[in-house]
Amino acid sequence: MRRYERPVFSLLYRMVRDRALAEDLAQETFIKVLNGIASYRAEYKFSSWIFKVANNAAIDYLRKRTVDTLSLDGAPDATTSDARSRTALQLGDPRESPLQEVEARELGGAIEQAIGRLRPEYRACILLRHVEGYAYEDIASMLGLPLGTVKTYIHRARNELRGYLGERRA
Amino acid sequence: MSDIERHLSADENELWAEGLLPAARAIHLAQCATCLATAERERSFFLKLAQLERLAPAADFADKVMGEVKIAVPKV
Repeated sequence: MRRYERPVFSLLYRMVRDRALAEDLAQETFIKVLNGIASYRAEYKFSSWIFKVANNAAIDYLRKRTVDTLSLDGAPDATTSDARSRTALQLGDPRESPLQEVEARELGGAIEQAIGRLRPEYRACILLRHVEGYAYEDIASMLGLPLGTVKTYIHRARNELRGYLGERRA
Repeated sequence: MSDIERHLSADENELWAEGLLPAARAIHLAQCATCLATAERERSFFLKLAQLERLAPAADFADKVMGEVKIAVPKV
């Protein structure tokens, strides 16, 4: 379990961008995997199984709560600048709690912020590919997506990241 | 224009950064300073992603998980 603790938690934290929630989802992931260990099939990589369960937990959460990638720009259904401002996550807000300060520091770098702006499906793909180093085929298996879709998502995610990082430099 | 003369596309820059660029195109890269500079930027971008920190959960994370795991006891 120790081996996967940080990778799984990191993926979930970057997916949901909330430390306490990421811990809850990571716990849920490990409990589900360990309690279901009898159903584990040896032909499937164990790491792929854990990441699959973790990603499903994150995507389920994000689908239920559409307020996420919004983290920086406000909710997608916010139509006025006031509504966008109210629903946007204020990184580095001087009134934030100590926990929020930790989160702002951890996910506050330019690349982290750019990742936070990606749609969840792109975010999962780019994190599994470039942070965890999984092959395209493994990611397709973990996410239950066709291989071509995974390649397209990663290609688009890279382009969007370059665009966001370029905006910051401009 | 041959494979050796043609500049690398954005997709090929990604392939090179991932170590998957075909040899004929790699020859062009070795000879073209413009393409090499672009490809190096791509590799640097991938490196930054790969170096993102593996964040740790709270210290009592494993204890909390194990408290919820039901270990099956083999029947004797």
